[in-house]
Amino acid sequence: MNLQIEPSVIVFLLASIGAISSALLVIEHKSIVYASFFLAMLGASNATLFVLLGYPVVSIFHLVVYVGAAVTFILFSVVMMREAPLVEPKARGIAIIAAVEILLVFSVGFWPLLRSEPIGGVISLEDVSDLLLNKYSFALLVAALALATTMIEAITLARREVSE
Amino acid sequence: MTAYWFLLTSVAMFCIGLYGLLTRRSLIRMLLSAEVIFNGALLALLSTASLSPAFRPAGGALALLAISLAAAEIGVIVSVAILMFRLRKSLDVYELRGE
Repeated sequence: MNLQIEPSVIVFLLASIGAISSALLVIEHKSIVYASFFLAMLGASNATLFVLLGYPVVSIFHLVVYVGAAVTFILFSVVMMREAPLVEPKARGIAIIAAVEILLVFSVGFWPLLRSEPIGGVISLEDVSDLLLNKYSFALLVAALALATTMIEAITLARREVSE
Repeated sequence: MTAYWFLLTSVAMFCIGLYGLLTRRSLIRMLLSAEVIFNGALLALLSTASLSPAFRPAGGALALLAISLAAAEIGVIVSVAILMFRLRKSLDVYELRGE
C-alpha cells in the first residue's frame, strides 16, 4: 500500500491550521499586543495559502503591505494603550449561534465545489498590472484617491488637540 | 487540493472574526476581529477566482486593491482609537455613545 501525500497538501494543512489557530488567538488572547502579533501570523499563513492558489504576487503584496506595514502599525500603536478586558457576555450566545450557523450554511453551500480543483499556473505581475492599468484604471484611480483621503484623515485625527 | 477546503478555511476565519466582533467592546479588539473577517473574505475571493480562467487575473487585481484599502482603513481606525484613548482614557465603544 502506497501512502504518498503531496507536498502541497502538507503545506495547505500547516497554513490552514496556522491561520485558524492564529485567528482564535487574535480574538481570545488577553493582551492586545500579542493579539496584534497573531494577526501578523494570520496574514503570513494567508499569504502561504495565496501561493498555493497560484497568486504569488498577491502573496508578496499581502506580506509587504498588510503584515509588514498595517499590522506592524497596529502593533506599535497598541503598545501605547492600556486595555481592560471588555467582553459583552449577553452577546456571547448569539455570537456562537450566528458563527456556527454561518459555518454550517456555507460548508453545505460550497459542497458542489468539493471536486473543483483550482486552475494550475501562476498569475504574474504583468497580468495583474496590465489589468489594473487598462481594464480597471478607474478603480485604481478611486483607490488612489481613497488612500490619499484616508491619509489626510488619519493625520488630522492624530494631530487633533485635546482640550483639558 | 480542491477549492472547497480553501473556502472552508475562509468561512472558519469569517466565523471566528464575527464572534469576536459581536462579543468585544474594545475598539482595537473590534478592529482586529474585522481584520480576521477581511482575511477570510480575501481568501474566499481568491479561492473562487482561481476556479475560472476568465476571472482568475481579475481576482488578483481586486485582491491587490482590497489589501491596499484595508491598510488605509487600519490607519484611520487606529487614529480614531488613539484620539479616543487620549480623550476618554479607555477604548470601550460603549463610552462613545455615552453609556
